[in-house]
Amino acid sequence: MTTTRRDLFKFAGGAALGALLTPAPWRLITDTALWSENWPGIPRPARGEMRTKFTNCTLCPAGCAVQARCVGEQPVSLAGVAGHPLSHGALCAFGIAGHHLPYHPARLRSGAVQEAAAAVAQAMAGRGARGRVVVFDPRPGRTASWTYRRAMAAIPGGTYVRPAPALGGNAVNLAAARTVLSFGVPVMDGWGTPGNVMAAREGFRLIQVEAVESRTAAMADVWLPVRAGQERAMAAAMGGAPGTGIADEQVRQVAQELAENGPAVVLGLEDWPEIVALNRRCGAAGRTIVARRGTPVPEAWKKSAPETEWSAVEDGSVRVLLIDEAAAGDTVPWSAIQPKLARGALVVAFACTREGYARHANYTLPTAVYPEMVDDIPAAVDSPASVFRMSASLVAAPEGMVNPAEFVARLGGIDGGAALRERADAIHRTGRGSVFAAGQASRTAREMKPDEFRKALTEGACWIDEPDPKAKPPVLVAASAGYASSVALTEQRGAGLVSPLLSKLHEESRLRLARHEVALHPSSGFRDGERAALETGRGRIEVVVTLDSSVPPGVVQAAAGADVVDLCGGDADARVVRI
Amino acid sequence: MRGSVLFVAGLAASLGLGWVAFPYAIYQRRPQPVDFSHKVHAEKAGQKCEDCHAFREDGSFAGVPGLDKCAGCHAAPMGATAAEKNFIDHYVTPKREPQWLDYARQPENVWFSHATHVKTAGMKCETCHGDQGTQDGLRVYQEDRISGYSRDIWERPARLVALRRRGGMTMDDCVDCHRKNAMELSCQECHK
Repeated sequence: MTTTRRDLFKFAGGAALGALLTPAPWRLITDTALWSENWPGIPRPARGEMRTKFTNCTLCPAGCAVQARCVGEQPVSLAGVAGHPLSHGALCAFGIAGHHLPYHPARLRSGAVQEAAAAVAQAMAGRGARGRVVVFDPRPGRTASWTYRRAMAAIPGGTYVRPAPALGGNAVNLAAARTVLSFGVPVMDGWGTPGNVMAAREGFRLIQVEAVESRTAAMADVWLPVRAGQERAMAAAMGGAPGTGIADEQVRQVAQELAENGPAVVLGLEDWPEIVALNRRCGAAGRTIVARRGTPVPEAWKKSAPETEWSAVEDGSVRVLLIDEAAAGDTVPWSAIQPKLARGALVVAFACTREGYARHANYTLPTAVYPEMVDDIPAAVDSPASVFRMSASLVAAPEGMVNPAEFVARLGGIDGGAALRERADAIHRTGRGSVFAAGQASRTAREMKPDEFRKALTEGACWIDEPDPKAKPPVLVAASAGYASSVALTEQRGAGLVSPLLSKLHEESRLRLARHEVALHPSSGFRDGERAALETGRGRIEVVVTLDSSVPPGVVQAAAGADVVDLCGGDADARVVRI
Repeated sequence: MRGSVLFVAGLAASLGLGWVAFPYAIYQRRPQPVDFSHKVHAEKAGQKCEDCHAFREDGSFAGVPGLDKCAGCHAAPMGATAAEKNFIDHYVTPKREPQWLDYARQPENVWFSHATHVKTAGMKCETCHGDQGTQDGLRVYQEDRISGYSRDIWERPARLVALRRRGGMTMDDCVDCHRKNAMELSCQECHK
């Protein structure tokens, strides 16, 4: 019997039909799909016991309380802590995605640490009698800040510089305010502690003076669309000066409301004299603007270097500049720092990304990021009481990360390794305040043992000081460094990392302007998505234009990355030009 | 006639390979570390599912109990069976966790909450896990050589010819049950 090709086809046809009636092909389709999920490089969810840990967010000065759901040692989701006296259970979108940051593709993972240490030692040795060694700390008040100050006190010519504190270091008591007049301050969009602002929002009327309809303007009771760059003039014109774009009658009404619907507080991008005058006139001092006691520190630390601002540093005097960008804080434009540097000055930035001051540094040393880092977070501007809370290390930092405080402490020959512990002990010794821990009743510091107090803090609890019975109304003093941008209206300050997932969402949903994106009125003559350049007297950067009818004609709105702040900070002549 | 015979022969060969040989080829058979009897624990020791497969204080499900739980009763041998001796000698005495093979482990892209199903919906363990809780021994674990998951979560094709239902944990089973009980049925519910 001969087997023909026809026979083979018939057998194969039967086999093919039979195969379809078995689980084999369907199983293989599913298996192949599942197999592709397990290819190398595809992230796999952590497995292990699920636990809840508590910490405090360091991504901004608000320091919101965080509960982290962990699988094994891996945090897999972050949420706010219900009932927290400061953050009231809220956590912003950046905080919720904070556990993505250790895996950010733009994160620095290596740096020439030994080489930088040798260069700093050499520069310090050869700096001469007048050469300064400066530590610039964008987020002062931390325990690390005290370590810098102690180290600078031990180094001849050592200087500790911080940005000018908002409201002269005093605090806003929003709970006591019935009227809040804000000149461009993003009260409802990241200012202070978001949860606290939201909790107090029902109790005050918000009047927002701003050129664009920002989120705060949209959520305000009254939005006064002042002409771009005229916020300060508007503050001065509360008596009725023309030229701000707001009708005189409306200006008078706001002034009247401020006087009659008190207690009131006036907030500005900087402590302009006009803002201070308005606060004095409405009696804010001692009612809505209150003096806050400093968080206690060990006695020995008080002999450290004083806090200084850049304006007090002589031009050309800085031979070694160390910048701690590990904790995001207020950005000072590079144009305000550069003149202070001596010729050939050495600049070392401690940072987790190259997007901030690292662009200007000779060496950039990589640091741990939240939630790897252990750091404390000083009280936010809307916290009338001083506080002490720490971020716990939820995941281990990779090898090679530098602790800026330890680096600087070594330069000054001091021991900064146990600083957090020493400070916690100093706070406990005062016997003041109470400790809030999630899921537990608040306890006074007095009824806790030192070990218990320290342990609670390292596990995410928060110490809140008690009211000072001897507190006097603060003296309001005008202080303007001139860093506020008057033309390019900005949002999302700082050079810290943001979850890549959130960045993508923001870019695609246009919830926020993406980095290097500017918003212009449709009448600007640009096309949506057109490439252009944002230009000031200091230079230009390439941007992408997005058209937004809520931006008034003649106004540029930009996301304030560090380079935009450098370009536009304090400058009055920013424009978008075709390239 | 000859052509029809060849077609049927091909069909039969394929069906045989697909239904009999394929499962043997695709699934790797692995024994459990300990010959455990749910039946003995349920009948003689009078234990219930939740005595060992407990919920933690925070509401999450602990899954397969750890050695600590077992050692609570088996600190010393309870009987003279070979399985008991093996368990005591190899795991309890050296304090080594048995590496149980989990029949119910779902793919990585599936999120499932026991608390929601058991505590909120009041479902019984048997609905998904079948009669495992009354079996005298642990059946051989069959691991898919390609995907690495247990055969138990892919029982649907076999059920077409099975005489009795053993509970199911396929996506179709989940969808069927949610549909039948008018529960939420979006992708995001499980594939978060």
